Amino acid sequence: MQIDQELCVGCGQCVPYCPVGAISLDDTAVIDLDECAECGCCLRCADCPVDALYQQEMVYPRTVRSILSDPLTIATESGISGRGTEEMKTNEVTARFREGQVGIGIEVGRPVTGTRFVDVEKIAQAMAAFGVQFEVCNPTTSLMSDPATGKFKDELLNEKVLSAILEFCVPQEALPDVLDALKDVAGKVDSVFTVCVACKADENENIASYQYLDKAGVWYAPNGKTNIGLGRPLAKEA
Amino acid sequence: MTHTLHRVGSDENLREDFVVLAMPSKDINHEGSGPKLQEIIRICLKEGAVKAGDARLGNEYHQGGLETMIRNIEDRAVVTAVFNDQDKLVNALKAIKAGDFGMSIVVSGLFDRVKECCHAAGQKVHTVNTSLGRWGATHKLPATEVMEIQSMCGHGMVSVDLILDTLDQVKRGAMSLAEASERLFRPCQCGIFNTDRAQKRIEAMMEKV
Repeated sequence: MQIDQELCVGCGQCVPYCPVGAISLDDTAVIDLDECAECGCCLRCADCPVDALYQQEMVYPRTVRSILSDPLTIATESGISGRGTEEMKTNEVTARFREGQVGIGIEVGRPVTGTRFVDVEKIAQAMAAFGVQFEVCNPTTSLMSDPATGKFKDELLNEKVLSAILEFCVPQEALPDVLDALKDVAGKVDSVFTVCVACKADENENIASYQYLDKAGVWYAPNGKTNIGLGRPLAKEA
Repeated sequence: MTHTLHRVGSDENLREDFVVLAMPSKDINHEGSGPKLQEIIRICLKEGAVKAGDARLGNEYHQGGLETMIRNIEDRAVVTAVFNDQDKLVNALKAIKAGDFGMSIVVSGLFDRVKECCHAAGQKVHTVNTSLGRWGATHKLPATEVMEIQSMCGHGMVSVDLILDTLDQVKRGAMSLAEASERLFRPCQCGIFNTDRAQKRIEAMMEKV
C-alpha cells in the first residue's frame, strides 16, 4: 500500500488502522513498505478524506504478503478466503482428522506482531523433524521449497505477513514430543505464534487429546471451536 | 485452525461470546450452498445474533449494507453470526438443524456451554479445536484487556493502535460506546467481532482508569 504524497493532507486518520504500525505521520503520512503486510485494512477502513491511499502494483514475491495478510484474498490452494483451510470446520464431511490422530495448527505472527518467513521456517523445520506432512491445501505449504524439511523459498524469507499457518496431523501419542520441540523453538523466534490442536470426539464425546496435553504440561483454553456434526453427507471413516 | 479460535477473556466475560460459522466443503457439498448459507444467516439474525458476516466477500460495511451482504453470499462462502446469549444461540441451532441444510456448523465459545447448546439442539460434539495459547515473543503483546478486544478479529485486522485510539476518544467524550464498537468492528471483514462484548470491555477499561 502507498500514500500519494501530493494528495495527503497529514490528518493522520489512517495511522491507527495499520495492524503492524507501518504508517507514520510527520507533515504527511508515510507507509514503511518493508513493514507493510499488504492487508488492505487502511484502504478499506480509514476513510481517507482525500483518497491518498492507493494499492500499488505488486510483483512476486511481494504478492505473497497480500495472500497471507488480506482476509479477502482467495487462496488457490484452499479455494476459500483467509489464510487457512477447511480443517476441523468440515470434519464430519471430510474425515480429515480421524480418531487416534490430532491436527495441529501453528499460526505464526498472530496475534499482533506479524511475522517474516525466516521465523515461519524455523518452526516449520522443527516440526518437519517429526516427519510430518504439511497440509497441501494450506497456502503456506505451497511457499516451501521443500515441504519434507520445512524449507521455504529463499526469496520469501524476509517477506512480512500478518500470519502464516503451519498445519499437519500427528498420531495423538506424539503430541507431547511435538509440543516439547515447539517450546524449544519458541525461544528462537521474534514473532508471537498461536498453537492449537483439533481432535475428533469419540462416541461418548470424550476428547482424547486432553490427556496428552496434560501429559505435556501445557495450558489450554476453556473456550474454542466445536463442530456440531450437521454437515452432510457424513464421511465414512476408513 | 484459527479464525474464531484464540479469543482471550475470562470465564465470566466469555459467557456472552459465541460465534456460529457455517460452510460447505469443497467438491463435496459446495454446489448450491449459497442460498442455504443465506438462509442460515437469516435464521441467526431472526434469533437475535449481534452481528453476521461473510468471510468470502467481506462484512456489511465493505459490501454496502447487511441486506446486500446477505444477497451476495455465494457457493463456497464461509458465513458467520455472533451471539451474546446462550438461549438465542440454542434457538438458532434448533432452527438450523430443522432446516436440514447439510452445511457444516462450528460454534465457538466456552466448551462446556457450547456442549450444552449442542445437546439442547439435539446434536453431539463431533470435533473440537482447542487453543494452547500464545507462544514465542509474547513480551511484545499488549495488556490482557486490550487482547480481549484485539483477539475478537481472527485475522488480526483490529489493530492495537485502533483500540487504544478508540478508547481515548471514548474517554474524551468524542465517541459513544456504540460508535466505538462499530468503529472496531469495521476492519473485521468476517464479521466475527462481537460489538456487544467490545462495548462491555471498553466500559470495564474506562472504569479501571
